[in-house]
Amino acid sequence: MQSSEERTSPQTKSIMRFLRPTLNALGVPLLAVLTAMIVGGLIIAFAGGDPFMAYIGLFQGALGSPRALSETAVWASPYIFAGLAVALAFRGGLFNIGAEGQLAFGAVMAALIGYALPGWLHIDLPAFIHIPLAVGFGALAGALWAAIPGALKAYTGGHEVINTIMMNYIALNLTSFLLNGPMRDPNPLNVIARTPGIAESARIPPIFSGFRVHWGFILALLVALAVWWLLWKTTLGFEIRTVGANPDAAKYAGIDTKRTIVLTMALSGLLAGLAGTIEVTALNYRHELGFSIGYGFDAIAIALLGKTHPLGVVLAALLFAAMRNGGTRMQFLTQIPVDIISVIQALILLFVAADAIIRYIYRIRAREERVVLTRGWGG
Amino acid sequence: MKRLYGVIAVLLVAALLMPACAPKAPDCTKADVFCVGMVTDVGKIDDKSFNQSTWEGVKLAEKELGAIVQYLETTDSKDYAKNISTFADAGYDVIVTVGFALGEATAAAAVQYPNIKFIGVDQFQAWPYDEDKTNDIANLAGLNFPEDQAGFLVGALAAQMTKSGKIGGVFGTDVVPPVWRFGEGYRAGAQYITPAIELFIVYHNDVGFDKTFTDPEWGATTANSMIDKGADVIFGGGGKTGNGAVIAAAQRSVYAIGVDTDQYYTLPEAQKMLLSSAMKLLTPGTLELIKLAKEGKFPSGNYLGKGGYAPYHDLDSQVPAEVKTKMEAINAGLLDGSLLTNVPPVKP
Amino acid sequence: MDWRRFGFIAFIITILFSVVVLIGKAEISPVVIVTSMLATTIAVATPLTLGALCGVYCERAGVVNIGIEGMMLAAAFFGWLTAIYMNTVFGLAPMPSLLGGVAAAILTGGLLGLFHAVLSVTFKVDQIIGGTVINILAVGITGFLNRQLFFEKGSIFGGNVPHAPGVLPRIQIPLLADIPVVGRIFDQQPITFAAILLVIITHFVLFYTRWGLRTRSVGEHPRAADTVGIDVYFMRYANVIIGGMLAGLGGAYFTLESVPSFEPLMTNGRGFIALAAMIFGNWTPFGAWAAALVFGAAQALQINLQFFRESIPPQWAFLQISYVVGLAPYLLTMIILTGIIGKNIPPAADGQPYEK
Repeated sequence: MQSSEERTSPQTKSIMRFLRPTLNALGVPLLAVLTAMIVGGLIIAFAGGDPFMAYIGLFQGALGSPRALSETAVWASPYIFAGLAVALAFRGGLFNIGAEGQLAFGAVMAALIGYALPGWLHIDLPAFIHIPLAVGFGALAGALWAAIPGALKAYTGGHEVINTIMMNYIALNLTSFLLNGPMRDPNPLNVIARTPGIAESARIPPIFSGFRVHWGFILALLVALAVWWLLWKTTLGFEIRTVGANPDAAKYAGIDTKRTIVLTMALSGLLAGLAGTIEVTALNYRHELGFSIGYGFDAIAIALLGKTHPLGVVLAALLFAAMRNGGTRMQFLTQIPVDIISVIQALILLFVAADAIIRYIYRIRAREERVVLTRGWGG
Repeated sequence: MKRLYGVIAVLLVAALLMPACAPKAPDCTKADVFCVGMVTDVGKIDDKSFNQSTWEGVKLAEKELGAIVQYLETTDSKDYAKNISTFADAGYDVIVTVGFALGEATAAAAVQYPNIKFIGVDQFQAWPYDEDKTNDIANLAGLNFPEDQAGFLVGALAAQMTKSGKIGGVFGTDVVPPVWRFGEGYRAGAQYITPAIELFIVYHNDVGFDKTFTDPEWGATTANSMIDKGADVIFGGGGKTGNGAVIAAAQRSVYAIGVDTDQYYTLPEAQKMLLSSAMKLLTPGTLELIKLAKEGKFPSGNYLGKGGYAPYHDLDSQVPAEVKTKMEAINAGLLDGSLLTNVPPVKP
Repeated sequence: MDWRRFGFIAFIITILFSVVVLIGKAEISPVVIVTSMLATTIAVATPLTLGALCGVYCERAGVVNIGIEGMMLAAAFFGWLTAIYMNTVFGLAPMPSLLGGVAAAILTGGLLGLFHAVLSVTFKVDQIIGGTVINILAVGITGFLNRQLFFEKGSIFGGNVPHAPGVLPRIQIPLLADIPVVGRIFDQQPITFAAILLVIITHFVLFYTRWGLRTRSVGEHPRAADTVGIDVYFMRYANVIIGGMLAGLGGAYFTLESVPSFEPLMTNGRGFIALAAMIFGNWTPFGAWAAALVFGAAQALQINLQFFRESIPPQWAFLQISYVVGLAPYLLTMIILTGIIGKNIPPAADGQPYEK
């Protein structure tokens, strides 16, 4: 490989110059994924399953047909949003473990605007107004849900990890209450704790008819781009990253750290809220209990796997979505419990986080670079 | 670095080669291969009650009808439709979906795949698929059970067996109609015997939907709390949450009543104090419908399965003869309609 | 000791109890209600207390551990599995099987503690990530093995649910347990008693022994500790392993003391509540226990409010909505965290890897 490199033209060289850092950045996560799948395969074999069959099923189910691809994109949409939410907070030195609650609260609000607003206003809203309203309110609800722990962190020092966990439980209780009570679908045939279906005008349509993949997926990709732009091309992004990297230096440089912390959490919550909102407005067309199980925790793994970079998050979200989606076919072909997916995901996270293990296995030299994600509880 | 590229290249090639060897599955599209698939709700197949009983019925179809059987566990509600169509696209002949929450997805799939028979367990077929008309979908049968009657029976039994005049019931969430019917039937049956009876009825509403049936620790704690207040019969209804209550009651040596199946066989830990179980005969009901599907006599609309109460087993000698007679009379009354539980099908 | 905090906690618990006594049915005496609520409170608090003690050991030594949830879940599973194996495969009597199960649970917790220590002390992986890995791994492994071993055709028990050897028996404390009504509080299962005992032991170890002094110095100022010859890495390893073992005992509560069965995800977020209880209790054993009792009392209240649903006076109708009460402990924790009743002071070097 390197012999060709030596003889290459200047253009190829410049391509290589661009490619090499990308490959380097991707290298360890990629090896982590493959190593995790090998270990996962050993566990399957140990438990009496057929790992090859399992992975073939996983592959077919995730990417094997247009429908499989569409379903993977459907799974990826909330993952991208939620992963970006956690990643953005990490960049600002905050650990948002409460994406789950922000997501649920955003979904409830989006559903409320989706089904009730036309009735309140006594007019039929056109889709180009109703959809942004529903999506916007859902996102704002998520932002509010995260801004509370943000403000508590900034002004009282209450740690955001505990406060966002508490806000998760509060959101869970609140959602259960709303969906069983005031917001319950009044249709007498309805037996489930769920909201009425949202109005046609609030529904984000699928991209291709016959497939479930919707414009929310495209929106997720655009938002990933926007987050990248925000973090690296704007003053606010600079402030967020500075506060994240070194709050004392940030204070010294005249950045209002308290305001930045609240804003970072609010933006993070906004993204998480979008995850829930998109599920309501583009996929389920209503909110019901039993949805969004564990997105918040998957999002943490996705953000870490993506090295808290928006592009990385998108790739990690696609990978997780492919695994979750392909899990069905794997289960169908081999009856291997889908829990093995969680095992593999944990292993991926482990190998990415403790990249020393991967570097040791494959004898790859280390580059000194460590992202400090969190500091202690103190501040 | 070169080593890194090398390793990645080798592994990538290996990954790309894998799909080349496609797996062989039994071909369900053939007319002479009879395949039955089952899709669970967001819950586990081995829950020792609801999903598992249905799966037992599907497995009996494997044994008795030579069917090829397979299940899929749903991990997220957005996968209902996908999981159903995974079976449908593979050419399965009968697809069993378990739980009221899959009702709409099942009805939609039944319309989409008219040649496949769908059995919706606990899915009352009045779905607003076509809101004005009540036309049944020809290839869809809802398997429902008179949970209120089963609850009524064990409620009456509990009220007759209690010495303290206090009885308890620990349930999953009342948002699920069958669970609510068990609970209210229990209440009605107990009050039918002793109108002023002291009843402790608790639903596990305070957790997420995915947890409400899978929290045995909470079930045990709640049952213990009831026993501390003097309750001496505990009915545990609702998946593993209820199982926790049944086991806790047995450990404290008060009468326990199981749910869904005869839990004498599924909860050996509680055998010595298990008075009876409020049964919905899921296993035979499922098998019966699969048989009808195979014979081409598939019923559409609602198919009412059987309910009842399980034998007293080890405690047979402790149940007085007059109680046994009374129980039989109540059961007969419920069956012929002369006795009504007055429990509406859905929580108002 | 932080008396203001304890006063506040006692006040909250009293209020929670009084609500139930006030609305309780006339036929049931307040003493019975209070006793039964206390019994529920103590039982519910057991895994929370042990989880919080795990947090106290880890964090006092400077290692943040959000993997308590995963440690408890894995310990619950492997403890239960061991008990079943010893009972059904090796044919041991229920009691030794159960004790073997408890030992296996503690061992599982200890091993995961070791794993966390390797990641966070030796590899200097971000400690939050280490904990997250443990949490996700525990969910996957237990769910997968539970299915693969017990349900699938061809599994070791042939797809049949094996007969678990029951749960740990109750222990009555002589004399105290004989007091009518109130005696119920002294009639609990062994892990519950152990948890209370361990609170006292931890308090003693942490504040009155050399080991405790060293542990705290490693968590407050590892550089200084190193200079006076304390092995920072060893102290951190040891304490995280001890913490893991306590979380393991907390896991044993679920499958060997509460109910004799395992359920995927059965710890149900209690590890995170335990973490909150530790912070609530300001990184002290007694504080953590008191906080765990608040969570226990709130749970007891929620259960009891449903018992007495019919007798709730109309002006208090909001109490009928169990969700409202369900919010109380979470809101309280957030209030405590704001520092209005005493400042929360974590160990100074908590969460920071130490480079020699």
